[in-house]
Amino acid sequence: MNKLTVHFTLNQQSIRLETLAARSLLDVLREDFALTGAKDSCGGDGECGACTILLDGEAVNACLVLISQVEGRHVLTIEGLTPDGSLHPIQNAYVQAGAIQCGYCTPGMVMATKALLDHTPQPDETQIREALAGNLCRCTGYTKIVQAVQFAATELHHDN
Amino acid sequence: MFDCEVNVAKSCTELTQILIEPSARILAGGTDILPGMRKNSIGKPITLIDVSQLNELSYIREHEGQIDIGALTTHSKLITSPLLLQHAPALIDACASIGSTQTRNRGTLGGNLCNASPAADSVPPLLCLEAVVTLSSHDNQRQVPLSDFIIGPGRTCLKQGEYLDHITFAVPQKHTGTSFMKLGRRNGMSIAVVSTSVLLRLDQQGNIEYARVAFGSAAPTPICSHHAEAALTGKTPSAQLFSEAAQAMRTDINPIDDLRASREYRLHSAGVLLQRALQTAWHQAEMDLR
Ligand SMILES: Cc1cc2nc3c(=O)[nH]c(=O)nc-3n(C[C@H](O)[C@H](O)[C@H](O)COP(=O)(O)OP(=O)(O)OC[C@H]3O[C@@H](n4cnc5c(N)ncnc54)[C@H](O)[C@@H]3O)c2cc1C
Ligand code: FES
Ligand code: FES
Repeated sequence: MNKLTVHFTLNQQSIRLETLAARSLLDVLREDFALTGAKDSCGGDGECGACTILLDGEAVNACLVLISQVEGRHVLTIEGLTPDGSLHPIQNAYVQAGAIQCGYCTPGMVMATKALLDHTPQPDETQIREALAGNLCRCTGYTKIVQAVQFAATELHHDN
Repeated sequence: MFDCEVNVAKSCTELTQILIEPSARILAGGTDILPGMRKNSIGKPITLIDVSQLNELSYIREHEGQIDIGALTTHSKLITSPLLLQHAPALIDACASIGSTQTRNRGTLGGNLCNASPAADSVPPLLCLEAVVTLSSHDNQRQVPLSDFIIGPGRTCLKQGEYLDHITFAVPQKHTGTSFMKLGRRNGMSIAVVSTSVLLRLDQQGNIEYARVAFGSAAPTPICSHHAEAALTGKTPSAQLFSEAAQAMRTDINPIDDLRASREYRLHSAGVLLQRALQTAWHQAEMDLR
């Protein structure tokens, strides 16, 4: 199996990585950078969204991105949401709304929420459910997650 | 870790050179091929050709009454195109129904066509638009009607060394309405149990001058129903006529029993969907004074 060198930005930092080529971005994040927020929950089928990260500002499943495909791009993971590791208003909203139970889906939900609110700061409930349709949660029943997104939208709106 | 080699194409010329290799497979958005490799449903050895740097294959353009869509255009880009919203709203509805936001941000129109699933949602509306695909290789370029491009489940007429470059269709004339309807197991993130797309053009009197009807998940490939089209052409639109078209369509489709639905259920719901799709396309055509 061949190797290659990839240059990309990871949570604001420039990276030069020499690696085996046939690896997913998700594996690289977890194994080489110990960024374990993004998770594998469906075996890399693109079905669960637990591995959601932002690639050039758009929500994507890191399990379905090959490492060579991030050449020259910006990758943002949940660990890079705030510069000092404090809670981002979206994370706070999830805590406040009680939208976290086991927490396995949460990093993916939060990153999908960030992509939504970056593009649509005041989404209605349909837009929220649509934007999170690719993120499965087996615990909460989604109601509180939708509330968390509404709460975060309001908070971020007041901050601006 | 995937069991494959990876090669990055820096230009279309380089792509055609690498594609000569028998093991070469294009990696576009990866939303079909990567899960397929994990399930071992793709023959080995595989050399993935990463085409993510070929920005020149991602575009939506209009020229001389034709619309060209580059093969690497993502579904997310497609569904926010004002040009397509104006001229091909059914294609937008179809691509908007594909997977999740995450899937649509990566998945490409070219990948949806080349994967050749009977359930590929972009195909029925493109069949109605009589789309043509342009295939390129190192020494040749050829055009093939989409209806001849997909030849079986997972099979296209792409030859070794060829790639899909772009998809073309003519801007529909005035008084045209199009629609797409899909029945899934649930609202979001589901593969079609059955889907249909319709294109109707009305004459000055409001009669149907031209009709195209296509189905997904109703045969080994997405297909047109020529019997339904014939039943509609030249007639005055009405609920009665649409129900006759839904009867006529049954001779063209041949759905299967599988884990998502039975053959009988598919046959029945294809008829229901078609009547709704015809109503929607008819109303659109009446309003379409572009
Ligand atoms: C969770 C999930 C839900 C989905 N839901 C739907 C759905 O509802 N409806 C639907 O239709 N699809 C669905 N899909 C399938 C998939 O997302 C689409 O078919 C998508 O458009 C594939 O595009 P891609 O760029 O990701 O293709 P890839 O996976 O990159 O490629 C698919 C195949 O086409 C070949 N290929 C790609 N581009 C070219 C080219 N330019 N020239 C020659 N060969 C090429 C590849 O070699 C490969 O064999 C879903 C997928 C996932 C993961
Ligand atoms: S691990 Fe489930 S979508 Fe990526
Ligand atoms: S909180 Fe457990 S899966 Fe969502």
